[in-house]
Amino acid sequence: MQATGRRAGRATPPDPPSVPEAPPAGAGSPAPAGRPPRGSGWWPYLLIAPTVLGTAALLVVPLLRGVLISLQDFELRQLINGDAEFVGLDNYATLLGDARFWEVVRRTFLFMAINVVAIMVLSTLVALLVERLGRFGRTMVLSGLVLAWGMPVIAATTVFQWMFHSEYGVVNWTLTSLGFESFDRYPWFANGPAAFAIVVFLVVWQSIPFAAITLYAGLTTVPKELHEAARLDGASAWQAFRTITYPMLRPIFLLVLCLEVIWTFRAFVQIWVITQGGPGDATTILPVYAVQTALSAQRYDLGSAASMITVLLMSTVLVIYFRQLYRQEAEQ
Amino acid sequence: MKFRPLACATVLTSVMALTACGGGSSDGDDGPVTLDVWLMRDSVSQEFEEEFVTAFEDAHPDIDVNVQIQEWNGIGERVTAALASNDAPDVIEVGNTQVAQYAASGGVTDLTDRVADLGGEDWLPGLAEPGAVDGRQYGIPYYAANRVVIYRTDLFEAAGVDPAELTTRDAWLAATERLNEPEGQQGIYLPGQNWYALSGFIWDEGGDLAVETDGGWEGALDTPEALAGMEFYQRLQALGEGPRDSDEAEPPQVEVFAGGEVAQIIAVPGGANLAVERNPELEGRIGFFPIPGKTPDTPGAVFTGGSDLIIPAASHDPEAAFTFVEELTGDRWQQELSRAMSYVPNKTTLADEVADDPGVAAMAVGAANGRATPNTPEWAAVEAENPIKDYMTAVLTGSDPAGAAREASEVITRALNP
Repeated sequence: MQATGRRAGRATPPDPPSVPEAPPAGAGSPAPAGRPPRGSGWWPYLLIAPTVLGTAALLVVPLLRGVLISLQDFELRQLINGDAEFVGLDNYATLLGDARFWEVVRRTFLFMAINVVAIMVLSTLVALLVERLGRFGRTMVLSGLVLAWGMPVIAATTVFQWMFHSEYGVVNWTLTSLGFESFDRYPWFANGPAAFAIVVFLVVWQSIPFAAITLYAGLTTVPKELHEAARLDGASAWQAFRTITYPMLRPIFLLVLCLEVIWTFRAFVQIWVITQGGPGDATTILPVYAVQTALSAQRYDLGSAASMITVLLMSTVLVIYFRQLYRQEAEQ
Repeated sequence: MKFRPLACATVLTSVMALTACGGGSSDGDDGPVTLDVWLMRDSVSQEFEEEFVTAFEDAHPDIDVNVQIQEWNGIGERVTAALASNDAPDVIEVGNTQVAQYAASGGVTDLTDRVADLGGEDWLPGLAEPGAVDGRQYGIPYYAANRVVIYRTDLFEAAGVDPAELTTRDAWLAATERLNEPEGQQGIYLPGQNWYALSGFIWDEGGDLAVETDGGWEGALDTPEALAGMEFYQRLQALGEGPRDSDEAEPPQVEVFAGGEVAQIIAVPGGANLAVERNPELEGRIGFFPIPGKTPDTPGAVFTGGSDLIIPAASHDPEAAFTFVEELTGDRWQQELSRAMSYVPNKTTLADEVADDPGVAAMAVGAANGRATPNTPEWAAVEAENPIKDYMTAVLTGSDPAGAAREASEVITRALNP
């Protein structure tokens, strides 16, 4: 649910102009007398204080605490007695020297890549489809997308779990009814690649609505005349997309891409509910690994260190995104 | 996006916040103190709980008892968070395989000086030993139970099977096969991930889950003995409709037993009462026999399960908490409890009290061959990740047993040597 909520929050950035800006202190029109000059005094600070304090309490403090723990020898004993000792970068050294950790990092990137590619391709296709549909079809598809988007993560995940249940799942029932006898009581979540594929399927399904609607919103801003002109010149659909749609929507594509990278990088709830990282390590990605290490093995120090490395990796993605963004702005 | 990495901290703090809400012990000096007690799901029946709490509060008017029933699923994290908080419950029931890590953590009250008051010289070793670290006693034995076969007497009669003759594995397999028909009837409901049952079969063969070597602990599921135990599990599991990819809690096997034509389950005897509670028609149609071993003269090895009670160091009123522990683990209520729940009482001297209970009698035969999980505080980490369950499902669904066993053993080795 959290992810959904945050997605909703994130949906605003693509259209910055819609933010109510300061009334233009237009040339010639003098500011009405008696109104205090904007941006001075303590009011603005007071108004923003709750947000800043909330953010500090909920994000900055735990983040700093996480950094602290990752530099300490912090296990169950220290959690209870609170006498942790500093060990410098020992935890990071332990982690980086562990082959299993690198295996998890590799799997995380694989998971992210498959998800992001699938999400981008499918949601672009959905967006193009919606643009071409008539009024009725468009309403239906958009409603479907919004409904899927609005479904709480835990609820959707539980439904997927039931669908693929070995005994009572509708998937096995369908496959067996269609004559695939080998799927009789097939335990999907006991097979590494199958479990991985189901989690990917679930994450892609949950992510498409946001990406598709955002891209569709972008598509509606592309002037129709350009496409008409291209068609007159004999351009194929693919050529039109490559030379008109994509270049015009590049900032939006980039934004959606970056957000999806971040969101799939930290897909945790779905995996934790369905497989807890199993079978074996087949679905263990970095966030799952961090929680397993911290809460199951009670190595809070190693878990925090793994989390900090995750933050670093994600920040790298963000830096790449911002560089791209600024370069584009500079070009324009 | 900077949210995820904080998971550990945030999860812990929120769990602490939640448990803190449930707290509220000893508000001031006047009026009775409120004692928060965590007991585990199905460890006591509601009837027993009410009876005990009423009697306790009558005897100690200055103490109010507030019992909260906890689910086994995820209990480790909740107990950890509770021990680390300033507002912990006053008494917590802890499984005997998990008590060592809490005792070693320093968050639990040391009760060594009170052991004599509690009659500690007669405690069952399988409960007292895991509750002690370096000679200091932290966990107080609460009750013990081991698994037996619970069977339907009517189905056995219809198939012409005499449970008294099922003293070897071969006889047991043959009878179960006969019970596995007609269509719709299950010879045995054995879910694929009952690793307690598997442990027994492995011990029967002379294997173990993990062994201690010079360099530390090492997973041992890939030894020929352990593989033989798994092979037997597989043959037995096939004689029913038990799902190969879940454990006895999901779905609750007692409900399956109560709801359908299931001839046998492997469970603690208390499961029979729970089954009758759900399906009164089963009253008088349930019997027990010890899990058969390889030869008629040795019963099958069983995992000695059970619970200890601990008093967190953060308890607001350790004295009142001790009074509670003293009563619940004392002779009078232990007799009541073992009779109500078919448990083995916490003292060897009380064993005769329940010898006439058929479930307990079957349990006592197996208990003679009772075993424990590897004796190291890190074992709790293995259970939390539980590679044994993955291994069992892999074998039952057709993977190569040796390969799967080697993988699982590696995970166990890693978890035991952090």
